[in-house]
Amino acid sequence: MSIKVNNPIGKKHRQETSSDRFQWIGKRVPRIDGPEKVTGELQYMTDRSYPNMVWGKVLRAKYPHARITNIDTTQAKVLPGVICVLTYRDIPGFNGFGIVTPDQPVLCEDVVRCTADAVALVAAETNEIAEEALNLIQVDYEPLEVVADAEYAMTEQAPQLHPDGNIHSHVKINNGDVNQAFEEADYIFENTYYSPRQMHAFIETEGGWGMLEEDGVLTIQCPGQYAYRDRLQISRALGLNPESIHVISSPNGGAFGGKDEITVQIYLALLALHSGGRPVKIHLSREESVQAGMKRHPFKVQVKTAAKKDGTIIANQVRAVADTGAYASLGPAVIALAVEHACGPYKIPHVDIEGFCVYTNNGIAGAFRGFGVNQVCVGIETHLDMTAEKIGMDPIEIRKINAYRQGETSSIGHVVKSSVGTHQTLDKAQNCDLWVNRASYKKQPSEPWKKRGVAVATSFHGVGMGIGTPDYGAASIELLPDGRLKVAVGCEEIGTGNGTVYAQVCAEMLHCDMSDITVVQGDTSETLDGGTVTASRSIYTGSKAIATVAPQMIQLLAETAAEILHTPAKNMEIENSTVIDKKDPSNSLTFIEIYDYLSKAKASTKVNGHFYLPKEKEEIKGSGGAPHHIYGYMTHVVMVEVDTLTGETDVLRVVSIPDCGRVMNLQGLEGQTEGGAIMGIGYTLYEDVAIEEGYHKTKNFADYIFPTIRETPEIETIPVEDPEPTNPFGAKGIGEVVMIPIIPAIMSAIYDATGARVRHLPATPERIFEAMKPMNKSAPISSR
Amino acid sequence: MKVSEMEMISPTSVHECLHALTDQQKSSRLIAGGTDAVVRMKDRNWMPDIWINIKGLKELRYIREDASGLHIGPLTTHTDIVKSELLQSKADVLTFAAKEVGATQMQNMGTLGGNLGTASPAGDTIPALYVLDAHIQLSSLHQIRSVPIKDFFIGPGKTVIKPDEMISDIVIRPQEKNEIGIFEKLGPRKAQSISIVNFTASLKIKAQTRQCIGGKLAFGSVAPTIIRAKKCESMLLLDPLDEHMIQNIAKVAWKEVAPISDIRASANYRKDMASALLERGLYRLMKRWENK
Repeated sequence: MSIKVNNPIGKKHRQETSSDRFQWIGKRVPRIDGPEKVTGELQYMTDRSYPNMVWGKVLRAKYPHARITNIDTTQAKVLPGVICVLTYRDIPGFNGFGIVTPDQPVLCEDVVRCTADAVALVAAETNEIAEEALNLIQVDYEPLEVVADAEYAMTEQAPQLHPDGNIHSHVKINNGDVNQAFEEADYIFENTYYSPRQMHAFIETEGGWGMLEEDGVLTIQCPGQYAYRDRLQISRALGLNPESIHVISSPNGGAFGGKDEITVQIYLALLALHSGGRPVKIHLSREESVQAGMKRHPFKVQVKTAAKKDGTIIANQVRAVADTGAYASLGPAVIALAVEHACGPYKIPHVDIEGFCVYTNNGIAGAFRGFGVNQVCVGIETHLDMTAEKIGMDPIEIRKINAYRQGETSSIGHVVKSSVGTHQTLDKAQNCDLWVNRASYKKQPSEPWKKRGVAVATSFHGVGMGIGTPDYGAASIELLPDGRLKVAVGCEEIGTGNGTVYAQVCAEMLHCDMSDITVVQGDTSETLDGGTVTASRSIYTGSKAIATVAPQMIQLLAETAAEILHTPAKNMEIENSTVIDKKDPSNSLTFIEIYDYLSKAKASTKVNGHFYLPKEKEEIKGSGGAPHHIYGYMTHVVMVEVDTLTGETDVLRVVSIPDCGRVMNLQGLEGQTEGGAIMGIGYTLYEDVAIEEGYHKTKNFADYIFPTIRETPEIETIPVEDPEPTNPFGAKGIGEVVMIPIIPAIMSAIYDATGARVRHLPATPERIFEAMKPMNKSAPISSR
Repeated sequence: MKVSEMEMISPTSVHECLHALTDQQKSSRLIAGGTDAVVRMKDRNWMPDIWINIKGLKELRYIREDASGLHIGPLTTHTDIVKSELLQSKADVLTFAAKEVGATQMQNMGTLGGNLGTASPAGDTIPALYVLDAHIQLSSLHQIRSVPIKDFFIGPGKTVIKPDEMISDIVIRPQEKNEIGIFEKLGPRKAQSISIVNFTASLKIKAQTRQCIGGKLAFGSVAPTIIRAKKCESMLLLDPLDEHMIQNIAKVAWKEVAPISDIRASANYRKDMASALLERGLYRLMKRWENK
């Protein structure tokens, strides 16, 4: 039976870029969760409290690398107020977790490999008693040699941290013949770049609740990025049927990748099994979060680039070494993405790229917005600028010469079939005020000894999973008794505003007001498994999933109305939460009336939809999953001002030019571009978790410096809309690329201002000052 | 000892507070704004048996002037200082410094007495108290004494305050009509940061000229306590303060400091920055002087 309804996903509309024909999509829509977040009405899960609750705490390793010879919990167990003390002996299932390779012990048994390692768990009547009990647990250690450096870890003399050695993964992409190209090159640039151990620094530290319900269901309320996978990891450690575990993972006080892996879910589950049915809360202090939480991989990246006099880059050789810390988590995927993106969105014919994911005793590194691309974009972008300077070419022009277009072959050797917006973003950059008038802006430093620089950089980022990781989306829509629609999508609300887009899409597809939509996310009992909220995928995936299921709801509504009104379903149209017979508009039914009918008939009012994300067919051999099918593209133009007396650097202006396919919600996009720019500024100028010999020197936010509003510049967003054909609305991902090209752009702007190149990030005032030292040090103040 | 087992008392007068301090049976500590005390308690560094909460002692929160100088009560907050017209006109350096302490919330809660008591070498208001020749009045039940600021600090976190004493007044000299000050702070970022180096100057300048006729310079975060840059001070008087002269003085500044390396910066960078902040500070100061 065919249903004719106003379906916005008609094929003929796909190439349109205007959003005017949409009522909700593409509009500047305020966040549906805005008021409750702004007023504080919405509580973080970790802000909640329950009567009869108990407090859980984790005993972390005392040494970054040591053998455990004995664990004695006797004294802790007899402390009044202690409910239970658990060690590895109390783990009913598999003592390990890890998204890909479960190499991280839930509770360490024989060896600790970093100070993030957990050795024991305590539940007690109060937080203080739990803390005191931790001090009473006697763990005997034999300290072992600490592996503090990734390059050292790769040598033979370094102690092996895991049975398979310290090199956890080694990925490569090889194309053409770089050695031949280096011989033919007019210019060769060779440099080594170091990147910081950035912290996610979410406002809500890791924490949550574990409860064993009366019916035997184990409920874990814990902010995360993939409730279904968290549930599987919990079930593996507990040896429990996953169906008996209910995970609620949304809302979430920020994640940025730092809650992609298991944080405290398994600890909560273990304690909940031993607390006599009482709810257990764990909430890491900021200090514990700094020590135990995931970080961004610090990289050492050696880059050798060959260019011709006409500005074409003919070869790029990259060797990237990533410090993944003590456990793998998503390290191999991060390094695979780094290798895939290391040559930029360009068509360099000869490339030789390799990456190593290496174990050390430096905490744990894992997923973080940008996922390896932040670290590697710096080399190619800097070398493009160096080439441009050498041959006297405009930095935008040289990027245009080298950037691939849709249908061309990328540096890694695949034909890019999906949408490519690089050239459009570069055109916008070329015409933006900051770039056009840069010479005049640079002449107006705020004080005579300050210098201004303007620079541009471009980059890209894969959307969704690469080859080898199944990637699917799912959504359900349910008609509620009050005529409202409940749209449920697995992807958590981690602060991105994806839920607002889900409401927009559902309202658009079902011709109702956004306020008639309830959005549910991140709850294994309410949502289908639709994959992670990572990989810049949740807008692409969620919108497509809702568009996949919406026609079923339209069909259900139309057919039910037809049945009640004795009219053919094909005559039915939906408008304002009402189904109308278009032949006789007086003949209509509200969603409430349709619900009542279905409910009396004991028929389901819920429909489910699934789809599989498009993938490339062939993996580049040895690449660990490249290429992606879809990429988001991005260009940044920035202006900085450097105080030549101190090295202090202000980013004064940012022009953010994303190609995210169709803009679904301009306000949400600006939230991403502005937040991404600030996080990129933090990465480039301020942020680093210092670890020495395995011990954290950075303890909390007093010594972890990230930008505040006073470091936040004017940020302008100029979106390019190159619609992605595989999404019904033309959307693609944006969450990560928004923080990437700004990194090399700031580095080049510092150079443009001062002539100093900083290759070790963050570019702190001290590092910039040192890099400037060789420059005209004795010049008078007014000419500096 | 658990935090929940600590006692807290809130005396209603200075006299009552001094009584409590005299009782040496149990260890005690004063808490005013709590911007340091609470953090240190959380880190288990300060774990007294009794917290003596003096935040409510209104009699210790004032800014006034008399023949002996400007008097600032130890419970005066940084925000009080920033907003005080009296201090803006007669102790501009102190208002500039108070404005750079932490962030607004810290300035609202933190007190001048607390900043002194904490005795951090990086304390932002303390160099200003050096160039304004502050005297710290310390009271116990039986005695009141006045300590010049240069003798007040023993080392990082250490002062001459005895266990039964509290800061009861801070007296500074008012700046003269032709005196102008500046505070320069280099932190890892603009807001919410601890100084890597800070620099304070208060200069008397001959009207209509750039000739300094007397000046005091102090550095923070480059030695175990705040230090005065006396060599630079004597150079101030040699010639009019043009750019060249300022640079010459700046070249000497690094010799007056003895910094250490820590997570925020290396000792060498701090030395360089002593010179840089002096140069930048005097340049900005003279620019303000000319526009006055």
